[in-house]
Amino acid sequence: MFIHFSVLTEHLDRYLIGLGGTVAASVISLIASFILGAIIAVFRITPVKPLQWIGTAYVEFFRNIPLMLIAFFVLVGLPLLTGAVLVPFVSGLTALTVYTSAFIAEAIRAGIQAVPKGQMEAARSSGLTYIQAMRHVIIPQAVKLVIPPLGNQFLNLVKNSSIFTILSASDLMYQADLINSDTFDTFSTYIFAALFYLILTIPLSFGIRHLEQRSQNVKGVEA
Amino acid sequence: MIHFHQINKHYGNFHVLKDINLSIKQGEVVVVIGPSGSGKSTMVRCINRLELVTDGELIVDGVRVNDKSTDINRLRRNIGMVFQHFNLYPHKTVLQNITLAPTQVAAMSKQEAEQAAMLYLEKVGIADKADAFPSQLSGGQQQRVAIARGLAMKPKIMLFDEPTSALDPETIGEVLDVMRTLAREGMTMVVVTHEMGFAKEVADRVVFMDQGRIIEEAEPAQFFTNPREERAQMFLSRILNH
Repeated sequence: MFIHFSVLTEHLDRYLIGLGGTVAASVISLIASFILGAIIAVFRITPVKPLQWIGTAYVEFFRNIPLMLIAFFVLVGLPLLTGAVLVPFVSGLTALTVYTSAFIAEAIRAGIQAVPKGQMEAARSSGLTYIQAMRHVIIPQAVKLVIPPLGNQFLNLVKNSSIFTILSASDLMYQADLINSDTFDTFSTYIFAALFYLILTIPLSFGIRHLEQRSQNVKGVEA
Repeated sequence: MIHFHQINKHYGNFHVLKDINLSIKQGEVVVVIGPSGSGKSTMVRCINRLELVTDGELIVDGVRVNDKSTDINRLRRNIGMVFQHFNLYPHKTVLQNITLAPTQVAAMSKQEAEQAAMLYLEKVGIADKADAFPSQLSGGQQQRVAIARGLAMKPKIMLFDEPTSALDPETIGEVLDVMRTLAREGMTMVVVTHEMGFAKEVADRVVFMDQGRIIEEAEPAQFFTNPREERAQMFLSRILNH
C-alpha cells in the first residue's frame, strides 16, 4: 500500500489550517478580483480612449505572464521599488488578485459585448442614458453570459492559490510541504492535499453548473 | 418638424449620404423607399442621432441634433423608434418593456406607467399579452409591442426602420394596420419600407433614394403611376412586376 492514512490522521490539524488558508485566500481574492476586474472591464468598453488603453494594457500584460512571475515580483520587486514589504499572505492575495482580475475583466467585457447591439440602440433611442441602458437592459442580459466563464475563473483561482506556498504564506500547499518535510512520505502527503482541494472544488463545480442551468431556464431569456 | 440641410455622411471612404435636403412637416407621413444599401436606414437613424452626420445641418423639433450643447436624451424622448428586428428586451415582460422608459426617463410612477402601457397595448391589440415575455410572442405581436413601447413616451415623431421586413407574410398586415391607425391620428411618421401598398395608401409623400442620394420626392399617386426619374422607373418596374 502506497498511501499511509496515518499521515492524514496525525497531521489533520495542519491540513485543516492549510484548508482554512486556501479558503480565505480564495474568497478574499475572488471578491477583490471581481471588483478590480469589473473596473478594468469598464475601462475596456468605455469610449474614452486613454482608459481603453490602460484596460487593454492591464489585461494583455497580466494574463500573458505566469502567475509565478507576478508572485515573485510582489515578493522581491515591490520591496525593491517601493520599500514596502508585505506580509506573505497579503503578497499572495495581491499576486492572485492582479492575475485573476485580468481574466475576469475579459469575461465581463465579452459578456457585455455579446448582448446584441440593437438592445443598446432601443434603450438609448427611448431616451435612456448610457448608464441607465447599461443598468436596466445590458447588464441583466450580460450576467447570464458571464456566469460560466466567471465560474471557471473562480475554480482556477482556488487552485492557483497554491502559489502561496512559494511566498511562505499558509495555504493547503504550504502546510502539505511542511507535513512532507516531517514525514518524508511525499506520495501520501500530496495525495491528501489533492483530496482537500477536491473537497473544495467539486462542490463549487457543481454549484456553478446549477447556477448556469438556472440562469438558462429564466423565462423569456433566449440562449 | 424635421429638416435635413445639405447632410453628408461618410463611413471611412464610403459616402453613405450625399447632399440630403428634406423637410418633413408635423403630422406628415413620409415613406422612404429604394434599393438596399441606398442609405434609407442611415438617413432615418440620423434623426435621433443613432448615426452621426459628417456635415450639414439637421434640425428636429427645433433642435440642432448634432450640436454639442444638445441634450440628446431629451430630444430622443420625443422620437419613438421601431426597428426591423424589434429589439424588445428579452429579460423583461411586455409590460416592463413598455414602462421602462416612462418610469426611468419621464419620471412616471409605476402605476401610472402601467396604466398608460395597458392603453397602448389595447391600441395595438395585444393587451392580453402584457405579462408574456417577448420570446413567447409571434414576430407580428413583438413588433406591435415595440410600437406600443415607442408610443409610451408620447413622442412627436415615430421612426420606422423596415418594421415589417423580418416578419412572416401573414403577420405583416397586423403591423401595418397599427401604423395606418397612427398615421390617421396625425402622428408625424418617417417609414423606411418595402411595402409599396402601404406607401401608396398611407404616405403623404414618397422619398426615393439610391446610392446615398434622394432621387425623387413626390406624392404617392404621382410617384407610383408616373415617376419622373429613370432610376425610380426601373426600381418600380422591378418590384411591382414580380
